[in-house]
Amino acid sequence: MIKWMIIFGVIYLGVLVALALISRSKVKNADDFMMGGFNIGYFLGFMTFAATLFSTFTLMGMPDFFRTHGVAAWIFLAVSDGVMIFMVLWFGYYLRKKAGGKEFKGMSGLLVKCYGNKWAGYVYFIGIFLFLVPYVSIQIRGISIFLDAAFDHALPSWGWAVLILSIMILYSETGGLKAIMYSDVFQGILLMTVVWIVAYNCVQNLNGIKQMFVEVKNSNEALLSAPGPKGLFSVQFLIASLIAIVMIPVTQPQISSRLVIMKNQSSMNRMAVAVGCFAILVILPTAAIGMYGAVKYAELSTPDFLSQVLLFDQIGIIAAATMVGLIAAAISTSDSQIFALSGELRSLLKGDEKKVLTTTKIGMVVFALAALIFSLVSSNEFALLARVSFAGTGLLAPMIISAIVTDKKLNMIVVWATALSVVVFILSLLGFIPSQFFGMRLDLILFIVLGLFTAGVVKFGGDQSPAD
Amino acid sequence: MSLLTFTPLVIPMGKYSPMLAGIPYTLWMGVLVAILLVMLTYIGTKVHPGNGEEGHDD
Repeated sequence: MIKWMIIFGVIYLGVLVALALISRSKVKNADDFMMGGFNIGYFLGFMTFAATLFSTFTLMGMPDFFRTHGVAAWIFLAVSDGVMIFMVLWFGYYLRKKAGGKEFKGMSGLLVKCYGNKWAGYVYFIGIFLFLVPYVSIQIRGISIFLDAAFDHALPSWGWAVLILSIMILYSETGGLKAIMYSDVFQGILLMTVVWIVAYNCVQNLNGIKQMFVEVKNSNEALLSAPGPKGLFSVQFLIASLIAIVMIPVTQPQISSRLVIMKNQSSMNRMAVAVGCFAILVILPTAAIGMYGAVKYAELSTPDFLSQVLLFDQIGIIAAATMVGLIAAAISTSDSQIFALSGELRSLLKGDEKKVLTTTKIGMVVFALAALIFSLVSSNEFALLARVSFAGTGLLAPMIISAIVTDKKLNMIVVWATALSVVVFILSLLGFIPSQFFGMRLDLILFIVLGLFTAGVVKFGGDQSPAD
Repeated sequence: MSLLTFTPLVIPMGKYSPMLAGIPYTLWMGVLVAILLVMLTYIGTKVHPGNGEEGHDD
């Protein structure tokens, strides 16, 4: 396996370097570097959206979720993604109108403009920083654990994390957003190929789909239905997850910026449908991998199960391809998120374009370092950590939607209410306040209260004069 | 339709039958819902106000 990993690794790195250099040669100004020239076609848009959305969390988190909590994991992610692409159509249309074409630099800057107050941008930026850094860390941690296992502790986990982040920063800073997008095409194809090969092997190993579920039934019958053996997939959990996931195109800058830079509305629409198909095709095989794990490795820890099913149960060449696919999945999401965070920083800065771009590039390194530190202390519950990240950024949605779909200059009380909700959510995550009130999940309460409050302010309390 | 997903029609708690080709109810029904959502989105793109637009000056 090591021989194949080195061969695939060298090919993968070679492709990344080539794509970064090709992209660099096309960069003429800051907009080319940060926004890909605002001229992204349907296919490139689709692949970069998909590769950014589906990450290590999909390839590692979802099989473990299916293995531990059962088949309703499909409702948690695939159905939520199906609704999310509808949100892409609706929100993307208004966002593109509001963003004003090539004037767009980031959501933070746009919010400052809509609310007429720089704190609207700051609250958004702080919110995404707090919840995206842990998400990037999940990717880094997941892949580091794997490399550690595959190379028999040749490097400590943090050493692998530093190596991956360095590669990511180097090619992002060299070629800008286009380099990230081109590599996303390659990484998306790799992810899809690998996950299907592993799933096929898992199903074959259990003598077909029918027999697989018979064995799951014998192993743990509760896995075959909601809410699963541990009761996780309650209706409340699934609805709160749906809201959090549907709001990803609204709240997460690596996704929302991709909606704005599409060549035209028609390309964005086609991209949304293609992402929906990709979601079904990429999540389905993770169910098979998870069910295989439920039969064969029910008692193993998450890292041990993943190492076993993705590496040691596969023949050398497949295990090596899986490893490279995992690295690709981690990098394709993390680089976009770190790049988007620095893009948001840029949208809050003013002054000479060259100086702003230099500060933005320094910001990229700082965000990567923050992700590295968090990856060393985070847990291995990849899917649940990702969900916390989705829920945290989801709280920013009412503030953003009201700014994007109305032409009013909005009342800042919406921004302060959003900031308060984020603080309350973080306090519950840290255990300072309960995560349930009156039998209802706190994140769901916050979504409902904040949504209704924002709608009320927009309807009755907003400044009626158009925004500047 | 997304609201129906969270009713016993798609996720009957603790039940996994009727199975389809050996696949438990919530999973095959969930796959069906996801496919329908993608189809609805496709139809949505056909009636969307921005459909057929050229260039990036919106």
